[in-house]
Amino acid sequence: MRPLLILREALATAWAAKVPSTLVVVLVATMCAATLATVGRTADAEAQLLARLDSAGSRVLIVADTARNELITPTIVDQTALLSTSERAVGTLIPVDVVNGVIGDGGTRVPAWGIHGELPAVATLLAGRWPGPQEAIASRDALRALGMDEKAGWVTLASSTLADDWSIVGVFEAREPFDDLEAGLLYPAPTGRALDAVRVVLTSASVAPAAQTQALRLITAPSPDALSITSPVSLAALQEQVTSDLANFGRTLLLAVLGAGGLLVTVITLADVLVRRTDLGRRRALGATRGVIVALVVLRTVGPALCGAAIGTGLGIYLTARLGATPPWEFTCGTVLLALLAAATAAVPPALYAATRDPVRVLRTP
Amino acid sequence: MLAVEDLSFAYRRGAEELFGGLTYEFTAGAITAVTGPSGRGKSTLLYVLGLLLTPNRGAVLLDGQDISSAPDTMRSRVRAQRVGFVFQDSALDPTRTVLDSVLEPALYAGSTLAQARRRGRELLNDMGLGSRADHRPGEISGGQAQRVALCRALITDPMVILADEPTGNLDRDNAARVLAALSAAAGSGEQGVGRTVLIATHDPFVIEQADEVLAL
Repeated sequence: MRPLLILREALATAWAAKVPSTLVVVLVATMCAATLATVGRTADAEAQLLARLDSAGSRVLIVADTARNELITPTIVDQTALLSTSERAVGTLIPVDVVNGVIGDGGTRVPAWGIHGELPAVATLLAGRWPGPQEAIASRDALRALGMDEKAGWVTLASSTLADDWSIVGVFEAREPFDDLEAGLLYPAPTGRALDAVRVVLTSASVAPAAQTQALRLITAPSPDALSITSPVSLAALQEQVTSDLANFGRTLLLAVLGAGGLLVTVITLADVLVRRTDLGRRRALGATRGVIVALVVLRTVGPALCGAAIGTGLGIYLTARLGATPPWEFTCGTVLLALLAAATAAVPPALYAATRDPVRVLRTP
Repeated sequence: MLAVEDLSFAYRRGAEELFGGLTYEFTAGAITAVTGPSGRGKSTLLYVLGLLLTPNRGAVLLDGQDISSAPDTMRSRVRAQRVGFVFQDSALDPTRTVLDSVLEPALYAGSTLAQARRRGRELLNDMGLGSRADHRPGEISGGQAQRVALCRALITDPMVILADEPTGNLDRDNAARVLAALSAAAGSGEQGVGRTVLIATHDPFVIEQADEVLAL
């Protein structure tokens, strides 16, 4: 029998057997809606929590040369930026206070950071251009504090006899997670000068242990306390535990919903097979193979299950939206597929039972 | 050509054996009435010949080939393509139209829907039931239903038609019509070769009309 004709026959009989078909529709719709409203909410909460745990601010590794032993060279920073676990990395100098060069020492002091590496890794340029040697860019807050209405002017070191000054050539906004830089100015660190810290934004919090090991391998420290490390390793462990706990909870709940739903689909399909045993016996007598009977029974369940999945998914999405959650679309698609798979699998035992019944018993008229 | 050789059948081990080693060659183009007292296996013989039951001993030969011990898929295919069944209660699907019921075996035999529909309408027209094609079985009479069942049996142009008490629920006029249709079917086989038609019956009227009688 041609596959399309099997499908046609299955759908026609599903339409004819309205009570079992409706029950399957209701059951699968309930499975999908219940899964989305319970497991879907969990998945949404998990996704939100993970997003928070995996935000740029939560995956920063900072290695600082606390004793100023010139351990962090520009080469080390460049190598660190190239690590597969690094999203971006820059080296920073300890900030120095600067004042508006026109006002002089009496002006408001703002911090200025020397940066080695790509400045776009830490800041977005809002106006002007990126700075060259003896030039700097300032945040809007810093400009305001310096008393500069526009990005025109120059700054000089505060409380210093050194004649070190920088022309302001642009305005920037600090990129996450370098929000602390928003308070001041950025200037390119002098070439070849050792840096005070290397700041690395990791690709994920979960790679923190590996990234920390790799970074420390690059820096040869004379003693363990020569370096100060701020690492999201404990956050990575927390992330793993939370993910694992939520996934286990969601999986158990999902299996319970699908298992219970599948069992009920089996009962409904078996009852339908028993009620329609004459119909199935006639089909066998007229030449349907066992395979055709199995396909007919399974597809007769899958047809209504498809309708139920569509209705249940719509209902589930509505319910979760009312509860203030939005299950990830991958989870929603997965739920539909799993519900259909559960319904189809649940229909197999009754289908096999139907295919192996003796047609003569039901066809004989006493 | 349909024949049986040394055929015996029992529904379960230790139960009474039916047919007692029956050897018989059924004549193509003729109606053979299978008769006998109740319990002698008239209907069972039809089901064995239709490959729905497997004999305990002996063989069912179709064109000289033993098909009774073939695998289930092969027997289903033979049933779909070469055997037509007419049951006592017509066994039409009450939820489908008359035409859908008629074309069912053709679909199992591998026909396309269009081919099966065309052939089904032809057969219904030949039986004078063309106007009933879109009716449900519940909307036609018992005699008409049995003729629809005959159309269903003929749709794959089988070489064997097995009819189990086809007139059992009909009055004399309707029984005569069904018999006439079966007789026509017996003489109108593929390429001019008649079909083998077997009717399990205890109706004297049918036995009288049959070309041959096999008494069990």
